[in-house]
Amino acid sequence: MKAIHNVIFLCVVVFLSLAVAQSPHTQEAEKKWKIVNFWSEWCAPCRQEIPVLNALNEAIAFTDVILVGINFDEDPRQKTLAIAETMGINFPTLSAEAISELQLGAPDVLPTTYILSPDNAVVAKMIGEQTEESLLAQLTALNLLVETD
Amino acid sequence: MKNLVGAVLLQPLFTFYFAVCICFVCMSSKLQASDAKLELIASPAPLNSSLSRVVTDSTGRVYLSWVTQKEAMATLFYSTLVNGAWSAPEIISQGTDWFNNWADFPSLMVNKDSMAAHWLRMSAAGTYDYDVQAAFYNLDTNDWSEGITIHKDGISAEHGFVSMLPMSEGQTFISWLDGRETIRGGNEETGSMTLRAGIFNKAGETVSEWELDHRVCDCCQTSAAMSSTGPLVVYRDRSEKEIRDIYFTRYVNGKWTEPTAIHNDGWEIAGCPVNGPSVAANGNQVAVSWFTAKDDAPMVKLAISNDGGETFSAPTLVAEQNTNGRVGTTILESGNIAVSWMDTEEPRAKIMLTLYNAEAKLLENTQIATSSASRRSGFPVIVSAGNDVYVTWTQIGSAMQVRVARVIYSD
Repeated sequence: MKAIHNVIFLCVVVFLSLAVAQSPHTQEAEKKWKIVNFWSEWCAPCRQEIPVLNALNEAIAFTDVILVGINFDEDPRQKTLAIAETMGINFPTLSAEAISELQLGAPDVLPTTYILSPDNAVVAKMIGEQTEESLLAQLTALNLLVETD
Repeated sequence: MKNLVGAVLLQPLFTFYFAVCICFVCMSSKLQASDAKLELIASPAPLNSSLSRVVTDSTGRVYLSWVTQKEAMATLFYSTLVNGAWSAPEIISQGTDWFNNWADFPSLMVNKDSMAAHWLRMSAAGTYDYDVQAAFYNLDTNDWSEGITIHKDGISAEHGFVSMLPMSEGQTFISWLDGRETIRGGNEETGSMTLRAGIFNKAGETVSEWELDHRVCDCCQTSAAMSSTGPLVVYRDRSEKEIRDIYFTRYVNGKWTEPTAIHNDGWEIAGCPVNGPSVAANGNQVAVSWFTAKDDAPMVKLAISNDGGETFSAPTLVAEQNTNGRVGTTILESGNIAVSWMDTEEPRAKIMLTLYNAEAKLLENTQIATSSASRRSGFPVIVSAGNDVYVTWTQIGSAMQVRVARVIYSD
């Protein structure tokens, strides 16, 4: 009887694990459009565009678009998160594994911001420091309209 | 009969196929035929070493510098290649407050009777504020001086991307990017990055200092060389319209010349390419290689001067399509010019060395190593000693390690 309970318990754990792995949150993230910003702590234009990107991150909070950052310098994860905090970056910074899944080559210029379709195809590449206007123009061109204050 | 017809019909095809194969083999042999001999040299740098450079002194002796990082402690070492063997590594300096970066890293300069080295030290609470520190080797005491901040602005800002040259009387020429104007008046990043240079005596005291350009690209290496007319500095400029082409300025008759473009590539970017130029000089001969990517089309180019850098040739295309730049330039005793660059096929990269004659005619291409496109692989650095070219880079694996190779070119 105890063995049956153990088997049932194990099945429930496996089921819950699979459910978590396939949670709506994960699935939603996977099917969202992504704005991917490459930054570095020593890149002045990267630092200058962060307030604009933070504002955009708030504006797209309930849309089908997410904004994520990549530390161009490939520092270890803890160091990257510490730098992001120091730089005032409020949007998520991708881990090495997540970066690898995107299969994005390193850009020639910093900052560079990509827009990826839900299947991670590059649909736009914006080189250099972006402004609110340039970001909204690109999102509008892709019918990814965002309302800002 | 059927077989015979078939044989007759197929014979020309076989003959043609055979001829094509022969041609292919011949062409392949020709492509692979190279007078260059590549030798990997045992590295004196241990595991977890990176940020290496090779330099030579006036006799052609080769020196290798590198950095190791153990937790917070960074240490700058160097070793000398004597009769094919590296000397025991010696420490130049170490610290727990260094700013070590894959693109902006320490250097070593060797003069006839002195040496100088530099590194970057965090200057204040802002993580991207750092100073250029230099140490000078005293032959009398056989010891390195304490680090000296070479710029005297006293402003917490970015300072880096250093180039150093030996000068007469044991003096050292140093050029660097100086961010003092970016935070003038207390408002961060209101001004532009400047290019500055100075001459320092054996004790590290400033003999002269100049601002060479008031507005340059923020995050690209500078490079300097000594031509027959004096020091020459090349760097990535930044125009008001965000054109970031390669410029140069020379010290002639006690004055710096007006900054001038090596070539008007017209690369407009409001960003950091993190890809500076590289210059080498030998008498009147000056060679500059650089990366550009106008219209998102990456290229490496080479321009040559035969009048000490007064004028430059139209550029020669060294590489395109898959290159990510990270160039190096050196001039061999023969007058031939070697350019190193990287070719990427993410996540891998190839370190390439291309040899040109003095008129920029392509002589040969040599793949030095397969590396990583990762930023951690850093910038390969080259230097010539006679007609050999020494190359150093960081190999990425389970641990990083500095590598060295020698390319021997026949005369």
